[in-house]
Amino acid sequence: MTTLNWGSISSMLVLFGTAILVVTVASLIKSSKKDLLVQVMTALGGLGGLAAVIIYWHRVSSDGAKLSFADTVRIDHLALFIIGVISSIVFLSALTLKSFFAREKLFRAVTTEIYVLILLSATGGAIMASANDLIVLFMGLEVLSLAAYILAASNIRKAQSQESGMKYFVIGAFASGFFLYGIALIYGATGSTKLAQISQKLVSGAFVDDGFLLGGIALFLVGLLFKVSAVPFHVWTPDVYEGAPSPFVAFMSSAVKVAGFVALIRVLGGALIESAADWQPIIYAVSIASMAVGTLAALVQTNVKRILAYSSIAHAGYILIGIQAATKDGFAASLWYLAIYAMLAFASFSIVAAREGAISGNSINDPNHIDNYRGLASKQPFLAVIFAILLLAQAGVPPTSGFYAKFSVISAVVDARSYPLAIVAMIIAVAAAFIYIRLLIVMFFTPADSSLLGGATMSKTAFSKTTSKTMSPITQLDASENSDATFDKWKKLGANKLNLAVLTLAAAFTIAMGVYPAPLLELAQSAAQSLV
Amino acid sequence: MTVTQFVIASAVLFSIGVYGVLVRRSAVMVLMSVELILNSVNINLVAFGALHDNIAGEVFALFVITVAAAEVGVGLALVLLIFRNRKNINIHEVDLMKG
Amino acid sequence: MVAQNIAFGVMVGIMGLSAIRVVTTRNVVHAALYLMVVLATVAGLFLLLGAEFLGITQVLIYIGAVIVLFLFGIMLTGARIGKEKLLSHRNKVPALMIATVITAVSIYAAIDYFGADKLPEETRTSTKEVANSLFSQYIIPFEVASVLLLAALIGAIVIARREPHEENLTK
Repeated sequence: MTTLNWGSISSMLVLFGTAILVVTVASLIKSSKKDLLVQVMTALGGLGGLAAVIIYWHRVSSDGAKLSFADTVRIDHLALFIIGVISSIVFLSALTLKSFFAREKLFRAVTTEIYVLILLSATGGAIMASANDLIVLFMGLEVLSLAAYILAASNIRKAQSQESGMKYFVIGAFASGFFLYGIALIYGATGSTKLAQISQKLVSGAFVDDGFLLGGIALFLVGLLFKVSAVPFHVWTPDVYEGAPSPFVAFMSSAVKVAGFVALIRVLGGALIESAADWQPIIYAVSIASMAVGTLAALVQTNVKRILAYSSIAHAGYILIGIQAATKDGFAASLWYLAIYAMLAFASFSIVAAREGAISGNSINDPNHIDNYRGLASKQPFLAVIFAILLLAQAGVPPTSGFYAKFSVISAVVDARSYPLAIVAMIIAVAAAFIYIRLLIVMFFTPADSSLLGGATMSKTAFSKTTSKTMSPITQLDASENSDATFDKWKKLGANKLNLAVLTLAAAFTIAMGVYPAPLLELAQSAAQSLV
Repeated sequence: MTVTQFVIASAVLFSIGVYGVLVRRSAVMVLMSVELILNSVNINLVAFGALHDNIAGEVFALFVITVAAAEVGVGLALVLLIFRNRKNINIHEVDLMKG
Repeated sequence: MVAQNIAFGVMVGIMGLSAIRVVTTRNVVHAALYLMVVLATVAGLFLLLGAEFLGITQVLIYIGAVIVLFLFGIMLTGARIGKEKLLSHRNKVPALMIATVITAVSIYAAIDYFGADKLPEETRTSTKEVANSLFSQYIIPFEVASVLLLAALIGAIVIARREPHEENLTK
């Protein structure tokens, strides 16, 4: 008889339970306070997930990892670490979303559903993090992605958002197919879908030079590398991130990617660690390609969202470096990088979202064009300073968190004696600094006035380009509707302050982790230790 | 019957599905090709389940069917959404963004 | 055993040809119908492998629901019944190469690894076994499936909503 230890998955149950509660309560209440209530509940759900993680962290520390549900779920420090990150992102997302809903009228009918989708997606991520069986991993991945596809397409009147959702969906479904085929081959070769049993089979040494297993691993990796947008499976990322509503991009680029990486770490670092020699070369190549392509492409972009998208591809390359090392230190470094990256990506895209709200009145089509960030330091100094901190961290400038993150993955790979990879990573890190310096120069050292000239010519061409392609008259209506009046109203709502608070928190976290990284690093290390 | 027979059948179906995803322009057709891929996975899973005398393969296939149904539902909803505003479901002409 | 092998050959032959038609035909409705044939033969393969419950589920869900969904989708997007330009192909050659490579490599790996390993004579799994493991060992994925369906349901609501004034605009 299987013992059902529901307590062990309490953090997932909190996230899912909140989703159910939000749907139920929202359908019963008609008052105007509904939106606020739903937002508060979602934020509390995120906090509750975090609280459950903290409680269980201590239990796992004293009793060891908890296996439950016939060993299909494994709650260990790795799972809890990742669920903690995802829950925090849910909490922060819930806080920032209100201002977005206030200015995008279209979402008023479905605010509840959006919060629910975020909670469900996070539930899927939490399931992936604690999966000890490939079946559970796959189901978690599907919940996570399905909700994310919808979030990408949710701005249903913007052609770009629809297109982004469709692209994300088609690529995602295709990647799932590869992922599944890979799992099927791994199952065929080893006779089990349980991670622990797969690793036992490999330890027994029955699979030396086994092409069938290798094919399974390769297809499995293709599927997951699509999800974490590593080169050469990254092509969708800039398009999807550009078209999807910015606050949801903040969620997708942080929580969804974290979940994809934890699946990689769980399977490669846990079940397949014995055949590391088989998958290390693949990760090696993908990691270098991601860093190089992400960085080079980011240098030539003119849209801030696309710049950040390409920079997230480069970051994926750095995270893969630690995985490539295939040592406990390497996985710890990757996990630490992951936590820091999640916060940086979330906050950066949140700033883009906030900036969109401020300028949608005067720029016709591309509110994310880099020209719209000219002289940001004089117009919105606070926002500019926070963005500067986040960009410096992404560039890896000490004493920000980004420096130690890059430092720890590179030193892990040096310990594992892959010197070429370490050298390439360092060179690219220097080149990558230009991406962020370019944005800093635009924000701080370019006068705001010139934006009128440059911005107008730019948006004119962009406008004619888009109108010729857009069929719907609705899209243009959108632009004029979002007048300055809407923005003033948005400001008055006070929601802006909440956003700034979240962004301040993110910047504080970034600096704190740079100055005093030890506590979080220790958590990441004990998470990596819990890999079998 | 050997398990190789089923694995080969599945590989052929998988490749046809991959071909379909790569060449088709219409989103509905791409979705159909994805269904071919998922079915090839199921053949593999059930064959391996029989080979290893293990129920996991069959149960996994059940979950794959569930997921496929949910995916088709969401996918067709997206197709309808795009169609409603543009009267065109050609995913490769849907290209406002270049990159 | 011979009968089974003949059945296998016939079904895989039909499956392969129909699958090729699914990805090459220029008629959307025909593609959906060919897909139905593929799904039915896959159900046949499941029965051949002794997975009765799965075979029935395949018929009920795939042929009963998914194909109908596809046909609805085709109908609602107003695809003409008949040949369409929209269904023309692109990158045929590289796609064909990728597909051939995948097939060749998989076939080689399968023959190399499994060779002529016979499947057990008796591969029938009873529905009772499936149900038992579904509700004990695999209870978590089973519950997650319900989360997935909830997400799909809510997602469809978010996407399919219509603004009250949107209809006036499009007219």
